[in-house]
Amino acid sequence: MRDFRPSRRTLLAGLGSSAAILPSFAGVRAEAAAVGGYKALVCVFLLGGMDGHDVLIPYDAPSHAEFTSLRRALAPEASRGRAVLQPLSPRNGERFGSRRFALPPEAPGLKRLFDQGKASIVANVGPLVRPVTRSQYRNDSVQLPPRLFSHNDQQSIWQANAPEGARLGWGGLFADAAVKSGANRDAEAFSTISTTGDNLFLTGENTTPFSVGRRGPTQINVLSSLERRRGRNQEAEAAYQRLRRHFAAQDYSGDNLIGRDVASIMRQGLDSNAAYQAALSEPPQLGTTFPDTRLGGQLKTIAETIAMRARLGAGRQVFFAATGGFDTHSNQPSNMPTLLGGLDAAISAFNAAMVAVGADRDVTLFTGSDFGRTFAINGDGTDHGWGGHHFVVGGSVDGGRIIGDPPPPGFDHAYDAGRGRLIPQISVDQYAADLGRWFGLSGPDLDAALPNLREFDTTSRIMV
Amino acid sequence: MRDVSRSLCAAALMLFLVGCGASGPEAASEDGASGAPPSGPTGTIFSSREGVAVFMGQAAFGARPDDLDRWNGAIAEDWFEAQLTVPPSFMRPAFDIHMDRLTTDGFSGFRIASPTLIFWENAVGAPDQLRQRMAFALSQILVTSASTGTLNGTPEGMIYYQDLLIEHAFGNYRDLLHDVTYSPAMGYYLTYLGSKKADPDTGEMPDENYARELLQLFTIGVDDIDMQGRPTGAGELYDNDDITELAKVFTGFEYAFRARTGAERRERMQTPLVIDEDDHSPEAKSFLGLTIPAGTSPASAVEMTLDHLMDQPTMAPFLARQLIQRFVTSHPSPDYVGRVAQAFDTGRYQLPNMVSIGQGRKGDLAATIAAVLFDREARDIEASRANREFGKIREPVLRLAHWARAFEVDAGPTEYVFDLYNTSDTDRLAQHPHRAPSVFNFYRPGYVAPGTLTGDQNLTMPEMQLVSTATTPGYVNFVDNFILADRDDRDLERIEDRLRRFNVDLPAAPGVNAWVAEYGAELDLLDTPEALIDRLDLILTSGTMSEQTRTTLREYFAAEAEGDGPDTSRQVYVDRIQFGVLLVMTSPDYLIQR
Repeated sequence: MRDFRPSRRTLLAGLGSSAAILPSFAGVRAEAAAVGGYKALVCVFLLGGMDGHDVLIPYDAPSHAEFTSLRRALAPEASRGRAVLQPLSPRNGERFGSRRFALPPEAPGLKRLFDQGKASIVANVGPLVRPVTRSQYRNDSVQLPPRLFSHNDQQSIWQANAPEGARLGWGGLFADAAVKSGANRDAEAFSTISTTGDNLFLTGENTTPFSVGRRGPTQINVLSSLERRRGRNQEAEAAYQRLRRHFAAQDYSGDNLIGRDVASIMRQGLDSNAAYQAALSEPPQLGTTFPDTRLGGQLKTIAETIAMRARLGAGRQVFFAATGGFDTHSNQPSNMPTLLGGLDAAISAFNAAMVAVGADRDVTLFTGSDFGRTFAINGDGTDHGWGGHHFVVGGSVDGGRIIGDPPPPGFDHAYDAGRGRLIPQISVDQYAADLGRWFGLSGPDLDAALPNLREFDTTSRIMV
Repeated sequence: MRDVSRSLCAAALMLFLVGCGASGPEAASEDGASGAPPSGPTGTIFSSREGVAVFMGQAAFGARPDDLDRWNGAIAEDWFEAQLTVPPSFMRPAFDIHMDRLTTDGFSGFRIASPTLIFWENAVGAPDQLRQRMAFALSQILVTSASTGTLNGTPEGMIYYQDLLIEHAFGNYRDLLHDVTYSPAMGYYLTYLGSKKADPDTGEMPDENYARELLQLFTIGVDDIDMQGRPTGAGELYDNDDITELAKVFTGFEYAFRARTGAERRERMQTPLVIDEDDHSPEAKSFLGLTIPAGTSPASAVEMTLDHLMDQPTMAPFLARQLIQRFVTSHPSPDYVGRVAQAFDTGRYQLPNMVSIGQGRKGDLAATIAAVLFDREARDIEASRANREFGKIREPVLRLAHWARAFEVDAGPTEYVFDLYNTSDTDRLAQHPHRAPSVFNFYRPGYVAPGTLTGDQNLTMPEMQLVSTATTPGYVNFVDNFILADRDDRDLERIEDRLRRFNVDLPAAPGVNAWVAEYGAELDLLDTPEALIDRLDLILTSGTMSEQTRTTLREYFAAEAEGDGPDTSRQVYVDRIQFGVLLVMTSPDYLIQR
């Protein structure tokens, strides 16, 4: 499908690692990925940096009192008072002693999923090159991810382990490993699917993401008109074929690289959109109404795609959706409930749809974001942070748990990078690795996709 | 005053008059670009209509057909120098006219769309093309966005802001930074409006947003780079402490007055912000090697900050590279970047006709844009076409504007072009003027497209972020509504209904013709398909049409012509031309610009 072979050296180059060269892909054949059945990973990326401090709220009386006294303007009684919070009873609650946690009132769906054991919360996860302590951070004595606190770079590092300019994302690399072991034989084009423009997360060495609009696949209207008429006579058929070749840039052979790239995308677009549309010819019954929001539309499209996985012939898929507005420098007390409520509604609907189409145990949705935010406030908002708290949702999640150790509210604790920005306890690599393990990747596959993984302990589990 | 040579005769001040500056061969060749344009003391001669087309695609929103004839054989510097003197088309007067037509003080989609409509009117029809193009480029660097929030609901803010970019387009970046900093739109968008000094009792700290993005996106960039835009390896220019210190400078900013009425709320979005000394941090502020002493007045602190940023060596290459990307090519050579950075840095640029542009103060935007457009790498078309890595993907907005100018669409009745009211979605243009999804614009200057040939060569290709399997069919569907539009398809009642819902007092009738292209010159060439294809190549693809697209057009025209007879209606021929235009505008040839 593609006429070139990009190199993998950028995987290592990004963070200046001096590690030994990792084994080539040919070497991992010895331990192939498990690709039987169907599994899907769905990344919901929250653009702007979601304030985890405002999502996993300290609930035991002393912690809550500390929280509200330090965040007064951001913790009004009406939305963050103990009376309205939704206290959690994690299955691993004994880990936290007398500390308790709650979700805000605007997240009833996530609370329900947590209680049902279908969602867990991963606390203080963020990009790391290797584990770092507070004193190491302050002394600058350990390698850190580059360009901390910069939106575009951190989005890139979350998705691809390298700042802006990165080319391969771990979602794409996971799909690569699955495809190499035989998944998606007749449906390689649908291994990775994005419902938002950004495709970095999903780009692998050998898999190219398919982008679909939030209202589903797009057909070219003028082409569809000719297609409806093509059976009439030879001229009509010829006209259709000619137009189809044009929109697929089929014969394009210009020298210019930019032109060739555009032609490739046009070609892929036409073929993939048509196949997708054909599979969607009988819209699946999802049995649930999705909120009419950007994220709702995206998750609906993803749910429909998963519903027709058999028709598409896909066995391992990685999806990417994104929604913005989380850069709450200002107006956080009014914006956060809306943002979180929207996220809650979309994820709840998605999970209900997965149950309806019998894919709940096969699909795992997880959130990610540029970074968490400062615990300190700036009047009516917060500023860029680092570690944040995230959700993992699905029937195969070892649910109802808080994974990791949420730092206490306030400052000067062991994970305080200053102003209550959190030094991550769990690295994105660790987070990704357990999702990848569940997806079917072998140890070597995971090492290849997550270059810093060897620096971290990988015994903790998110997934069953 | 501007240091423009007075050897220009006065007539050159009127746009598109040829005669006074022109010299060189009278009969210019039309069969393709003929190497590097002759330049020297006489200037950069357009040696073919193609050369004019390429230049206008870079410096304007595309050539109109009469431009191609008028400027063929003339010198580009004359056009450029004239453009520097054309009065600016500000948005505010047009906005006031729009608002006069509203019949409600409450919500109206027309009110919200007004800045967009004015943008399109100017892009398609304003005489100050270069200034408008520069303002559009600046709006993608100094980003504010009306996609949501107050800037969406109160368009006065965006009108005022864009007029700043229009005003300073040929002025100085330092002055622009000042006005942007004091603009309500930026204060709102990057949230320093209302940011206060630190409060030790509550632990509240100043908002860091503007401090960070000012450095990262608007002035010096994250990484240390040399004058050619290449990373020096010295690493990041600032750390988080610089940000928290700098954040103290942007404290105390407030609206100029309290607003009690809707009218006052709108007025204050068009009035520079003021700084309340009580809310401004009294502490010393130390960042990037500068210390602003404690107790410095807020206004002085802002000026010292902006002066200090202007002094930083990375500003010139950081901005130069992005401006080249907006106008000419996505991955310029380091030498090209260096020459443009030099013009920004010295505030002067000498055009090939020996005329000096710029006031000599660092940050001169007229000198900078002159360097962008007149650099040999921009003007040597033969060399650039032989370079497989040269060029850029045509921004979606420019794809449509170019069409409108190429087919002489009347930009006047843009109010009726309801399709333009919201073009952000992937199934539309995937780009809406002044409504970027974030302060990071529609695409990143450093974007390298994963999984592509250009990406494999590590070429930065920003607009590729908007090219996907979702947006390419979306674009085709969106643009066919324009290309294939006929008066007969327009429904007067629907137009009336829309206007009523928007609470706009406008007659519906002009909506029937709005943005309908005539294709007169193309219809005249229907009997000579090769000539017709040549014309489409000239006005749409500046002579770069591939053999594949030519073949497709030939086959299409031939197949359609088979049924022609004496009774064939004019509409059939119009449809045929329209479809031919659609074919060109949906080919890779048109989607890239080089």
